Amino acid sequence: MTRKLLVPLSILLVVAIVAGCKPAAKEPIKIGLQLPITGEYAYEGEGMTKCAELIAEQVNKAGGILGGRKIELVKCDDMGKPDESSKCANQLVSAGVVAVVGSYSSTCTEPASEIYNEAGILQVTPSSTATRLSQKGFKRFFRVCFLDDRQGLFAAKFMLEKLGAKKAVFLHDNSTYAKGLAEWAEKYYKEAGGESLLIDAINPEDTDFKPILTKIMELKPDAVYFTGYHPQGGLLLKQSKELGAKFKWVMGNACNNPELIEIAGLDAAKGCYVTTEPLPKDIPGEAAKKFYNDFKAKYGEPPASIWWVMTADALNVIVEAMKATNSTDPAKMAEYLHTEFKNYPGVTGTIIGFDEKGDRLGTVHRAYVITESGEFKLAE
Amino acid sequence: MEQLPQQIINGLTIGSFYALIALGYTMVYGVLKLINFAHGDLFMLGAYLGLTLIGVAIGAGMSANMLLSLVPILLAVMAIVAMVGVALERVAYRPLYRAGRLPPVVSALGASIFLQNFVMLTYGAKYRVYPKGIFPEVLWTIGGARLYLEQIIMLALACLLMAGLYLFVQRTRVGTAMRAVALDHDTARLMGIDVYRIIVLVFIIGPALGAAGGVMVGIFYGRIYFTMGWTYGLKAFTAAILGGIGNIPGAMLGGVLLGIIEALATGFVSDAWKNAIAFFILVLILILRPTGLLGERVAEKL
Repeated sequence: MTRKLLVPLSILLVVAIVAGCKPAAKEPIKIGLQLPITGEYAYEGEGMTKCAELIAEQVNKAGGILGGRKIELVKCDDMGKPDESSKCANQLVSAGVVAVVGSYSSTCTEPASEIYNEAGILQVTPSSTATRLSQKGFKRFFRVCFLDDRQGLFAAKFMLEKLGAKKAVFLHDNSTYAKGLAEWAEKYYKEAGGESLLIDAINPEDTDFKPILTKIMELKPDAVYFTGYHPQGGLLLKQSKELGAKFKWVMGNACNNPELIEIAGLDAAKGCYVTTEPLPKDIPGEAAKKFYNDFKAKYGEPPASIWWVMTADALNVIVEAMKATNSTDPAKMAEYLHTEFKNYPGVTGTIIGFDEKGDRLGTVHRAYVITESGEFKLAE
Repeated sequence: MEQLPQQIINGLTIGSFYALIALGYTMVYGVLKLINFAHGDLFMLGAYLGLTLIGVAIGAGMSANMLLSLVPILLAVMAIVAMVGVALERVAYRPLYRAGRLPPVVSALGASIFLQNFVMLTYGAKYRVYPKGIFPEVLWTIGGARLYLEQIIMLALACLLMAGLYLFVQRTRVGTAMRAVALDHDTARLMGIDVYRIIVLVFIIGPALGAAGGVMVGIFYGRIYFTMGWTYGLKAFTAAILGGIGNIPGAMLGGVLLGIIEALATGFVSDAWKNAIAFFILVLILILRPTGLLGERVAEKL
């Protein structure tokens, strides 16, 4: 009996040994992609995924990195919800990723960052701008977007100086990002001499915001700064027009995409101001223009939201760190990004570098206004 | 105080949508003692189907007569969702009636998840927006409050549907049969009522009303989403309980009341606290009247 099994067993053994001897250098590098592909922010999540895929495709077509290894994106949909975000983070950690691009909203990035930090994985968020995310001392957390305390300062100055708004109302939705931005903006607005009539939060699940809008109208502000996300921003614009509101709307950088205008209707959206990182068509530099055209060539239309392009740079940063340190060790990559990574020609403009907290240096915010034809035009 | 008239109109509008959806919950609970968690998703399905049919109508060049073509569209959506409702009852609930009260509820949750994902996969995960300008923009100002033609038509339609249902249940033979089944299945059977037929009828009317609500919400607010059934459903269910679950006028009253409480709480206190205040008042009312505002005291079976 044993004699009969001996030959097949030894063949099996040899095959197993040979198969297990695959040269490790050709194994793909797993990079996690945690984004809200479904849910409230699907508009952003879908576009952000496309940008990441485009970059991965370009890198792989050029032969991969670290001796021909290809990048493999391991995706997880966090639906824009914090509990799903924790699930995704755990899932990606178990899948063995060395770095993660994600997430979109600060509400989701926050719990995920705790998990990634515990696991020692490098995390680069393309769009979570809440200042407190980088104040936890996480050594491997980075962001390619800018911070909300700066955006708040910018917004406050814009409203007072450019719009001449002496009285303002600040409206958020109680999320990490929105609340933070509204509070920063209100603080700087008051410090600069403005009068804050009200700071309140909407419920993002609501569809009818006329009650809060009616209340705001009664206070007669010159401007209202809404720091929530574009699905609610669109409805606010539409309904405030229906109520005949006369104040100026200024919205934060989660309302900086065309879906805002689609939901509000062009009639209601025109004349609305938005404070944000520069939009795709206004980014300086060759790399930016090239990416803009590559995206257009692959997907048939240019990237509509800056967060999509930020995702591309988040992935670029990770790839660059791997190339520079010739490894996939998150510790080495983080060290590199904190110290030697400088003046990288990113698709969102030159990335001057990261500070010791992982924040991108060289903050730039711009103010845009929505035109009659539904475009975002620089408003300065 | 000058915001009061506008806030009342705001509250009435929000409330009438809650009321319309609450009717479906309360009817199904009345005859089956089952909380149909999938009802909100039938409302959502109605909104999406309305979007498709309006898109078809516009594509066929009917945009000039949008108001007129809305009636057949509304009826078509109500009919389709009613059929889905009947199928839902047949597939997800009927096999479980003998299993007790809990299994149908779990099945309802499952049906809800199924419907949401079905719509998400069919229509895509992003928000969808109803075409604008379906109603001509006509505006009235009453005491500082703005009232649009659209709003008046929606309110009138909601009232019409609710009144129609009320009359149907109170004044017709079939309506009486429905009330009998809501009281006691076995006795109703002894009276010669085909209980299953009545149940099917409830699953035609309830979802149809919900679907009408869905189309109206789509037209009125513009933005629809596959999880809107959950959010609206929760509020509507709360409204049904507030008014007395199983009681049709109670659902209408509960809906409108909840809408007005929400609007006033936002206007005079804070939007961030609105839900807390509204639910606090709800709890107070239930403490004072445990069966809801119009709920009947049901005698204990000895």
